[in-house]
Amino acid sequence: MSIPAIESIYLPTLAWISKVETMTATEKFYTVELPRGQSLGHKPGQFVQISLNGIGEAPISISSSPSRSNGKFEMCVRKVGDVTTALHNLGEGAQIGVRGPYGRGFPVEQFEGRDILVAAGGLSLAPVRSVINQIFDHRKKYDRFIILYGAKNPGELLFKEEREEWKKRSDVEFLETVDKGTPEWTGNVGVITTLFPKITVNPRNTVAITEGPPIMYRFVLMELLGKGIPEDQIWVSLERRMKCGVGKCGHCQLDHFYCCQHGPSFNYAEIKGVMEAL
Amino acid sequence: MKPKVAFFDFTSCEGCQLTVVDSLQTHLDLLDVVEIVQFREAMSERGEDYAIAFVEGSITREADEARLKQIREQAALVVALGACAHLGGVNAIKNLAPLDDVRQYVYGDKHKWYETYAARPISAVVKVDAFIPGCPIDREEFIRVVKAVLLGKKPPIPDYPVCVECKLKENNCMFHKGGFCLGPVTRAGCGAICPTYSDGCEGCRGAIPNPNQDAMKDVLKEHGLTVDEVMARMTMFNAFDASQLGK
Amino acid sequence: MSLKIINKSDLMPFVANMMGEYEVIGPVANDIGFKFATLTDASQVRLNYNTTVIPPRKTLLPTQETLFSFQKDMLAPTFDMKWRVLLGVHTCDLHAMCMLDEAFARGQPDTHYMKRRATTTIVSMECLDTCDENSFCKSMNTLTATSGFDLHLIQLGDFYAVDVGTTAGEALLANHAKSHEATRAEIALLDKTMSQKWSKFPVRLHLDGKDLPALMGVSYKSPLWEEVGKRCFGCGSCNIVCPTCYCFDVRDEVSMDGKSGERYRIWDSCQLDEFARIGSGENFRKTHAHRLRHRFMRKGKYIAEAFPGHQGCVGCGRCARACLVDITPVGVWNSLRQDHA
Repeated sequence: MSIPAIESIYLPTLAWISKVETMTATEKFYTVELPRGQSLGHKPGQFVQISLNGIGEAPISISSSPSRSNGKFEMCVRKVGDVTTALHNLGEGAQIGVRGPYGRGFPVEQFEGRDILVAAGGLSLAPVRSVINQIFDHRKKYDRFIILYGAKNPGELLFKEEREEWKKRSDVEFLETVDKGTPEWTGNVGVITTLFPKITVNPRNTVAITEGPPIMYRFVLMELLGKGIPEDQIWVSLERRMKCGVGKCGHCQLDHFYCCQHGPSFNYAEIKGVMEAL
Repeated sequence: MKPKVAFFDFTSCEGCQLTVVDSLQTHLDLLDVVEIVQFREAMSERGEDYAIAFVEGSITREADEARLKQIREQAALVVALGACAHLGGVNAIKNLAPLDDVRQYVYGDKHKWYETYAARPISAVVKVDAFIPGCPIDREEFIRVVKAVLLGKKPPIPDYPVCVECKLKENNCMFHKGGFCLGPVTRAGCGAICPTYSDGCEGCRGAIPNPNQDAMKDVLKEHGLTVDEVMARMTMFNAFDASQLGK
Repeated sequence: MSLKIINKSDLMPFVANMMGEYEVIGPVANDIGFKFATLTDASQVRLNYNTTVIPPRKTLLPTQETLFSFQKDMLAPTFDMKWRVLLGVHTCDLHAMCMLDEAFARGQPDTHYMKRRATTTIVSMECLDTCDENSFCKSMNTLTATSGFDLHLIQLGDFYAVDVGTTAGEALLANHAKSHEATRAEIALLDKTMSQKWSKFPVRLHLDGKDLPALMGVSYKSPLWEEVGKRCFGCGSCNIVCPTCYCFDVRDEVSMDGKSGERYRIWDSCQLDEFARIGSGENFRKTHAHRLRHRFMRKGKYIAEAFPGHQGCVGCGRCARACLVDITPVGVWNSLRQDHA
């Protein structure tokens, strides 16, 4: 009797932090390099499990687009738990473990030829950025491109330089807002739904992608459906507790779906009947 | 540099500190990672430059407060060690009767000589960063907490009830064996040691954050306890109630 | 495959022979009941046991299992290397393990589970009488099994009929047991015993198990969840004792200097407050009622939908025995059934 050699699906690959930037008081932005220049091979909207020996693992969205990967990927990490706090204490050159990519990303190839409307709230601009840059890098394949972005206050707006560039570009309509302004803030004040009256869309040709804190979905979905965008052309990305990333541990379950496997990107038509989803 | 650690005690049996000493027998390497500068029960040296203070015992006299506040001022991290410091513990049973009656019962006609007030956990006096529950503490849990603190992790104190650990050990339920148990509402982390040895949980680790106390009372009554017996069990370690302090 | 017979007096030698080559895990007595444990002596086995606190799934998914160990930057996966025989599995638990096989093989197969599964030979047992008032295997159609086992034992007076399910079972029997082909008389006794057993099992559920997904589909908004939620301790006992639960938490354990350690998984429970809370603080199932509903949905609907041909509940009754406040699948489902009568 012999036992076949097998790999553990829970064993992380060792990788290195090649760059760290502080984005806000609670968010840092990491560039992670994989060994031997290997590519993560992800799709926009997927996530990885970041592992620190002795501390644990945490699911983190991939913020870079596949089109700009080149042996590296980027992620934005908010300091909320043990793993993310420990990550915040790590500098360039530090070793971390990576598993993934996991989950179903946004099927951007199916969106070709369509108008794309992205609505992101708060930290969710980080994962949505993987779609945004993928679209920019293949801009000719898509028609109109609209980005709506909202955060609690100007201090929480992420990716300043990229946003400045989007504002200058003529091939994207970019609108941003904050729930609460500051004396220096001259832009729009109000929740993200206050941006919707400012845009008109061709609903039949529009694919909408929305991601934000749990409270945001219901209101943004009302706006999107109100504009006549068909349910199966609206994509959301849901956040749930994840431990294993491979549809086993049960924490992310939404009805008979596992968020880590069937999602985190879902088509609204698929999940509108899923009671615990939205 | 190794973090400097000190141990202190207030009203207690010092059993938790004894458990710390005991834990050093199996985890001597603890001394490779921390420097103990003060520990009355185990050594005679007294250093005052500690960063982490483990405090055993409840606060039962106004005079104790100043000393505790001084510890708080010095230590970057204050950890409540055991049920008395964490919950008030058995010392707080006296809170259930008028204070003068209690003093007379214990000290007779000399009762005026002894200062005392309602027993309280140290968190009623100073900010506490972490707690290690239990009467006494579980030595493995003590080691886990120290390791977590050194790694910058949240101390791994469970917020689920003893039943989880009891079932994982495949114990038959105390209630099915004709006993009584506070496991369904009591914080795990002890490895369900009492029910594992067929002694029902007495709640020394305090209640979980969201305990169903009404259901607990009902179950105890259904299994034959009187209302008084139910209350006696449920207040053995958990008699302290902040409302008693008029807060 | 074929039907063999082992004389009752040859059973203990069979167990002892297996113990020479395998870790044999079977039901043994403990203080007031039974549990599955590694046998150290063949005589410990109690094939007439009624039920156990924890189901035998712990052999395939241990309550706590190391996934890998680490030493500074070196990672080494940990795999269990034993060959086992799991003896005396009741058919309710066998059905549950077939569901687990599907859950762990699906998508990215869980190599740790698969490894244990591949090295475990299952010898199941036919129940000829009901275990107690909490089981409802008849309603869940798990009262017997025609596959999923390597060998299946049915006790018939002085002998055991052995149903051979796989070549591994055939080899186990050939190498370790004294057996013979069933005679016509023995087959006749088997048929008689099997057909007589059904009437001994009461029907407790007021609907057929296969109709549960439909019932649960219309029960999401039932007021029953709040009602039972008030009684619930949220103690997680129902999950820990359930043969079809497989949720786990993943934790790290480190050495004192923090440089070496291991990552392990440990059984978790969706009834615990923190089960669905994410890092930012949002809890997707805030109350006992929400969590209980999730559990009953999972048992009655979600698993059946996710793994067609399998059920999320096998009617073993363990959760009903474990619950101190009488929240039982029979009680809940009959009540929901009545609401939709």
